[in-house]
Amino acid sequence: MASRTHQLTVGRPPRGTLGTIAETLESIWERRELISRLTLTAIRRRGADSVLGHIWWVLDPALQMVIYTILVTFIRQRSQPDFPLFIFVALLPWKWFSSALGTASESIRKRDKVLRQIAFPQITLPVANIVESVFEFCVGLIPLFALYLVYPSHLTMWVLALPLIIIVQLLVTIPFAITLSAVNVFYRDIGNTLTHVLRLWFYLSPSLYSIETMRSMVKNYPALDFLVSLNPFTWIFSGYRDVLFEGRAPDLVPLLTLSVVSILFTFVAIHIFRRMAPNFVKVL
Amino acid sequence: MSNPPILLQGVGVQYDLHLSRKRSIRKTVYRVTREKVESERKFWALRNINLTVAAGESIAVIGPNGAGKSTLLQTLAGIIPVTEGKIQVRGDIATLLHLGAGLEDELNAEDNVMLVGAFLGIPAAVMRKKVKGILDFADLGKFARAEARTYSSGMRARLGFSIATSVEPDVLLLDEVLSTGDASFRDKSRDRIVSMMKKARAIVYVTHDLESAAEFCSRAIELRKGEIVAEGPAKRIIADYQKRMAANPAAYPVGKPGRARGR
Repeated sequence: MASRTHQLTVGRPPRGTLGTIAETLESIWERRELISRLTLTAIRRRGADSVLGHIWWVLDPALQMVIYTILVTFIRQRSQPDFPLFIFVALLPWKWFSSALGTASESIRKRDKVLRQIAFPQITLPVANIVESVFEFCVGLIPLFALYLVYPSHLTMWVLALPLIIIVQLLVTIPFAITLSAVNVFYRDIGNTLTHVLRLWFYLSPSLYSIETMRSMVKNYPALDFLVSLNPFTWIFSGYRDVLFEGRAPDLVPLLTLSVVSILFTFVAIHIFRRMAPNFVKVL
Repeated sequence: MSNPPILLQGVGVQYDLHLSRKRSIRKTVYRVTREKVESERKFWALRNINLTVAAGESIAVIGPNGAGKSTLLQTLAGIIPVTEGKIQVRGDIATLLHLGAGLEDELNAEDNVMLVGAFLGIPAAVMRKKVKGILDFADLGKFARAEARTYSSGMRARLGFSIATSVEPDVLLLDEVLSTGDASFRDKSRDRIVSMMKKARAIVYVTHDLESAAEFCSRAIELRKGEIVAEGPAKRIIADYQKRMAANPAAYPVGKPGRARGR
């Protein structure tokens, strides 16, 4: 004991913006044990909430697909061929995105007790929720591949490019999730607002309709067309459709651009998070 | 040693009441329309705190509710950053502030031990060796295998206490913990805290239990409205405090330590 060097644990000098971002990234790596335990806990908790447990991870998107298929078949005259698969390849990633934002935005608030007792890098909380959402999404891929039994002609080699689209979506999700987790501590309205914003966002993206349909709807309005291009989910949904439904190469340029922009925004999100973090315990 | 375990120079911690009261836009609108926005929105929970705790010292922190005692501990633990001044705490820190924090309803006792260990930043390999000792001490019986949601509040407190006291910190921060659980566990926990206190280099003990403060601590500080109003040998400070308290009990409200502020 006596020979141990007593390092400074509280009161280290601040490292500036970039230093703080680097420190946060280091802490995520150093606390990977905590993140994996939090992830497992979140998975368990989700399973324990209901009678069917984790079966809901499969059942939920499947039921949603059935509902949308029925609705669209009745409402729209000119129906998209193989609509169940067409809609499913957009529903599944969207469910991932919305549940990641939903759980991550609550991640700091729900841990108020431990935040008040133990000093640890708070960023691990939203990060664990993001990791958990990836697991949930991967389980949801099971019914997707079951659907290929019904529509075997859509299954091509391009399905191997799926991980690429998944990574792009993950990169897009991270800055949103981190920012929301911090902001939600101070503005509890985020939770209520989020549901509606996400719903609107879903319908404004090429989710229930193809990107071609969407472009033709806005082709006379350049401003709207530009907005469609700004929406990351225009490209993400198109990417999934390309590799899972159309069986063709995804449009790489926008996807790579999206990735680079998202990484930059992740740094911004971490900066915002760290700026707000000192006040978490005071407010919770 | 030139570097004391705890050094505070002119430390202040400010709360923004405006920020902590904001619960929803509706309430904000309500407040703006109904009453004038308070001009005095900032609140110093601690101000001008100068304190050095040398190796081997134990400090009792006494004072009425809302004096800033818990904030002081959270600041020392690195949970709340200082708004002004300089703070230095050296070595591993253990906090016994709110017992049972971090326990997960869906995990059994062992998984909870590992989770809290991960929160504390203790490597899994080290924590795994401690599990048995922690569970034995918590004395959960057959409940050790069950999920924490089935535990009584006493069991939760015991498990939380066992985990929190399983570490050997350099700096020990205690907040009113000598009253955990039932009578038999209280004696056991008291022994454990005393042995922890003997091993730690520095102790800060926040309490309303003045007898135990006088017994365990060499020095005491009295906080009032976020500032140190008296400092000296524990016995003298506490005796003086008790005298003033007896003369005017209303000025020294004593109750459950907690978060009266901002709610």
